[in-house]
Amino acid sequence: MKPTQLLITLLVAALMLLLLGVLVGSTGFESGMLTAPDPAQQQILWDIRLPRSLGAWLAGALLGLAGAVAQGLFRNPLADPYLLGPSAGAGLGVAFALVALGLSPAAAAFSLKLGLTGAAFIGAMAAMMLTLVLARGVEQTLRLLLAGVIVGVVLGSGTTLLMLMKPDIMRAMQVFMLGTTGFLSWQSAELLGPVLLLTLLTAMGASRALDALTLGEATAHSLGVRLGLVRVTLIAVLALATGTAVAQTGLVAFVGLVAPHLVRSNCHGRHNALLLLSALTGGALLLAADILARGLIAPQELPVGVLTSLLGGGYLLMLMHRRRTGGSA
Amino acid sequence: MTLPTFSNAHRLAIQLALRLALGAIPGLLLWSAQAAPVKVADVQGHVLQWDAPPRRIVSLMPSLTESICALGACDRLVGVDRYSNYPAQVNQLPKLGGIDDTQVETIVALRPDVVVVTPYSRVQDRLSALGLKVLVLETRSQEDVQRGFQTLGQMLAVPDALQVWHRIEADMNAKAADVPASLRGMRVYFEVDSAPYAAGESSFIGEILGQLGLRNVVGRELGPFPKLNPEFVVRANPQIIMVGQRNVGGMDGRPGWRGIDALQAQRLCVFAPEESELITRPGPRMAEAAGLIVQCLRRLDPAAPGPGKTRPRS
Amino acid sequence: MSPHAAPAEAPAAPVFDIALQQVQLQGHTILHAIQTRLPRGGWTAIVGPNGAGKSTLLRALAGLLPVQGRIQLLGQDLRHWTPKARAQALAWLGQNEAGTDTLRAAEVVMLGRLPHQAWLAPPSPQDHEAVRQAMLDTQCWDWRERPLNQLSGGERQRVLLARALATRADVLLLDEPLAHLDPPHQLDWLQLVRGLAQRGCTVISVLHELNVALQADRLLVMRAGRVAHLGACDAPDTHQALQQAFEQRLHLASVQGQWLCLPFALDSLESKK
Repeated sequence: MKPTQLLITLLVAALMLLLLGVLVGSTGFESGMLTAPDPAQQQILWDIRLPRSLGAWLAGALLGLAGAVAQGLFRNPLADPYLLGPSAGAGLGVAFALVALGLSPAAAAFSLKLGLTGAAFIGAMAAMMLTLVLARGVEQTLRLLLAGVIVGVVLGSGTTLLMLMKPDIMRAMQVFMLGTTGFLSWQSAELLGPVLLLTLLTAMGASRALDALTLGEATAHSLGVRLGLVRVTLIAVLALATGTAVAQTGLVAFVGLVAPHLVRSNCHGRHNALLLLSALTGGALLLAADILARGLIAPQELPVGVLTSLLGGGYLLMLMHRRRTGGSA
Repeated sequence: MTLPTFSNAHRLAIQLALRLALGAIPGLLLWSAQAAPVKVADVQGHVLQWDAPPRRIVSLMPSLTESICALGACDRLVGVDRYSNYPAQVNQLPKLGGIDDTQVETIVALRPDVVVVTPYSRVQDRLSALGLKVLVLETRSQEDVQRGFQTLGQMLAVPDALQVWHRIEADMNAKAADVPASLRGMRVYFEVDSAPYAAGESSFIGEILGQLGLRNVVGRELGPFPKLNPEFVVRANPQIIMVGQRNVGGMDGRPGWRGIDALQAQRLCVFAPEESELITRPGPRMAEAAGLIVQCLRRLDPAAPGPGKTRPRS
Repeated sequence: MSPHAAPAEAPAAPVFDIALQQVQLQGHTILHAIQTRLPRGGWTAIVGPNGAGKSTLLRALAGLLPVQGRIQLLGQDLRHWTPKARAQALAWLGQNEAGTDTLRAAEVVMLGRLPHQAWLAPPSPQDHEAVRQAMLDTQCWDWRERPLNQLSGGERQRVLLARALATRADVLLLDEPLAHLDPPHQLDWLQLVRGLAQRGCTVISVLHELNVALQADRLLVMRAGRVAHLGACDAPDTHQALQQAFEQRLHLASVQGQWLCLPFALDSLESKK
């Protein structure tokens, strides 16, 4: 499928999934939602289901974009947005906020004001800054990756320690770690939307540089790419996109890793197409997972991270199988 | 047949001997009961027996600790788990870790006659393999707790275990009578953790709420602690919301929640962490738990008559 | 032309004016003091034993390494060129170039046009023409739609060469361009470079194949991080420097007017007969 065809397909898919998202809720699939005159139903549609579906798509798009950026920047097909530690940082931030809620009234008030979202975002950003400091700048890719791993492991164990000391935060932490779209509101969407636009445009501006990077850093440099500037810009994009998504939906697994792979073969090495299509694929993936999470055992909910892994992993497996049996194109 | 005639002194001596013997019988009986072999079956069907009621007990579950103490055998505890904190005297005992990181060595060193656990502890097989007697009891519903109580009473040879339980139940019923009439039958939503995790009808808290005459929006079919779609709560429109202090912040900011009856009428019961701990812990203090809930309900309807407790809001 | 390029001077102006004190890589000094001028136009082959620092010198000339000293490209310090202008003036092809295997050959060659493309503009007709020409010159036009991982070593190398050619830079720096190429294609490459040199390009290549190198206009002999000699390929002192660099284990012989390089003397072959 050509990139433009895929683009249109994904946009149509987004609209259809949004529609489905509005029809699926705590009562399972309800086809009559759109035309229900009941104000309570209307409120549920506009205040709950629509912002939640939109927020899920936007967060997924951010993660898909971040995944494509990470894989292009580090020239590693296994890279994901959490590589430089924002996931561990967000987790630690949320753990601290939850613990503070139970400490003193002053600490609780501060924690409430900041909100779990704010704490997660600050944690994610702080972790990435720590990675940059440890790697002493953006010059060396290998050092960045190692620093990211170290930060992830150390902060993660900090979170585990907090959970052991205050076991009553464990359930809330588990919810965060597995991803949650339950409380996405119009406020969330208003935050996610502009951030997606900003990061997408910035990343697409650097797409030529990413194209050149596929030939190696030395060749990219010889082709006139300002490697230092490109690295700083793309890492900032990575931080902002991942931090914002993670703050709103917790640590959703696999979307950032798998979305670029689902569209890579259609992009023919052009990163402007890859970045855009990865974002659209990520959005579709997370929204589809969210709909299933709500609909399968309604009115109970499954953690959305479980479904993204199943959906994304399953589709990737199918692609790999088809490639092996059908031969490469 | 004629008895040989005894002198008066002889008769007195015989009467004295008989009296002593008779007097000693209850003492003998009591002593024999204390020393009599005890045999109980736990929830997994294991039959355990001891030559005498165990004198050294390790408990690895807070509700079981409280049950043992309610039966008057608190001084027989030699070790408890990390989370057991009631009554105060158990805090002096060695704390042996939680479910996953129980200190097996320390337990063995304490030479207990029995270790009381729930079916979820990983340490059960290890302790049995080391030769310790492990009694497994369920603590999830009121029925479980009652049965556990009786089993423990049997094991500890406490003759009036059932009466202790009846006293608890009577206490509960008394508390139930204190619920303001205007709130009886109202729809209640009890949030255990944000996600949201709710306490359903079939949970321990749910049973208490049921006994207090409130209708849980989370029915029996959803299980004890389901993870709900927040939309469900909006649809169910509870009239009373009960939640822990930690999770109440930002509740009216949740999409669509502002219109919920309980939030509009501000019928919120916010429990401090220690209160939450008490309410969510199944065990012999369930009457106290009910009491805390009733206290809050009375605050929601100050016009209700009856023995109003005027403890300040915590 | 880029405003940063030096204005066209007298033909004798050097393409590279090198005044290096030291070039270090990971703490080791690879290149020691080098002071030399490479004239504009023509084909210079850099030769020397393993570890002499040939690739490092080429990288330094391409501006890919920090150096202690000064390198001037076309009269202006390399560091003062804007990246884009430098990329338009100078094309570099490295050894064992990495490549995402799923990219198609034409796409790889199109990347060579990057320095000429406006920021977000799609490829222009000139870009397509440059790509086509470059791929025809290296005889890889026929498989332009095939992904790299389906090409053999030699085919892949020709695609990468085409990438360097597509830039149409005045200066070409090629590191081991003949890797994986079989003799007929080596000959093609030779003719290609000769044609480029005639058109006024400056080609500087690091070559292992001494016999091909001896066909160049100039030989730059390196040894142990220094330039041992820079001179014409048929000059005796160049030959002497070459033999010295390889510790007298080379023998140069003229066969039918062409200089050839052998690892043993011809007469020693004779004596074996």
